[in-house]
Amino acid sequence: MNAFGVSTGTELPPLDIALDRTMIVAAAIASQDFEDVHHDPGKARERGTPDIFLSINSTNGLLNRYVTDWAGPGSRITATSLRLGVPAFPGDTLRFTGTVGEAAPGEVTLSITGSNARGAHVTATVTVAPTAEPDTGARRGETT
Amino acid sequence: MAAESLEARLAAFVGIEAEPPRTARYAVNEAMIRNWVEAHDDANPVYVDRAAAEETGRPGIVCPPAMISTWVMAGYRRHREIHRMRAEGVVEDFAYSRLSRLLDEAGYTSVVATNVDQTYPRDVRPGDRVTAHITIEAISGVKNTALGQGRFLTLRKRYHDADGELLADERFRLLRFKPGGGAEDDEEREGRA
Repeated sequence: MNAFGVSTGTELPPLDIALDRTMIVAAAIASQDFEDVHHDPGKARERGTPDIFLSINSTNGLLNRYVTDWAGPGSRITATSLRLGVPAFPGDTLRFTGTVGEAAPGEVTLSITGSNARGAHVTATVTVAPTAEPDTGARRGETT
Repeated sequence: MAAESLEARLAAFVGIEAEPPRTARYAVNEAMIRNWVEAHDDANPVYVDRAAAEETGRPGIVCPPAMISTWVMAGYRRHREIHRMRAEGVVEDFAYSRLSRLLDEAGYTSVVATNVDQTYPRDVRPGDRVTAHITIEAISGVKNTALGQGRFLTLRKRYHDADGELLADERFRLLRFKPGGGAEDDEEREGRA
């Protein structure tokens, strides 16, 4: 039995995330990233992009969300490898799609793409495993 | 001649420590985790709800894996100081600062991150004190990219807790590029910051 009871080729349900300026700024600041390209449109233009854009750490955070939305709270991401393509700007909708690649007994590796209207913003592989000790009633102190 | 000299000067940075080890200014904590998961609209309860986290076999809430670098960020005040010094041409006495200055002088004044590869040996939890050791692993030759002419830098970052246990092992790749398409020669860009 594979982790999560899935087999290679299983598709994850897509997730659409509408990006706006406030979200891009909030996510950058939540990661303590004060680079102007993530909050100052004028500076972003000076630096060669038409607008502020989503930070790589925020993209990584959205990947976390997409993966555990599917795998559930009782899962743990053990590895992520992501490559950015086109930038993600305010007004974009990022559509995340994913496919189960390797489905080993203890973990699965997912191939994920987050795309906007201009193409792939991020392509990634994420490995996720069930947590070692799933629910055993420990929540109410029934075990020591 | 200038280009050869730049190549040699860049090569000297490969394999060395980028800066002194970065220790987080504060322990991993619930408040910053909550701010993060709200900003990313992440509904996974293990980041904010102790009971839900315990139900998954964890001792308590955990930190989103992608948040690992957040803990060792320099903070707003330090960020402003770094940019002020960069604008004034002040170079701090560590390798990454000198490398950054060299790239600025060569016209590669813009930066965009391109890749992150991370492995996470264990959950990061409130109370962990994170330290990052950062080395300059690679500097590419000049590449023509969609953003313009640039050079890729690869940084290796190893994050440990206070006991030296590995929390995350990362390769971070970024592009330093010449804004505006990169059609000009190095000389035409000099002085721009």
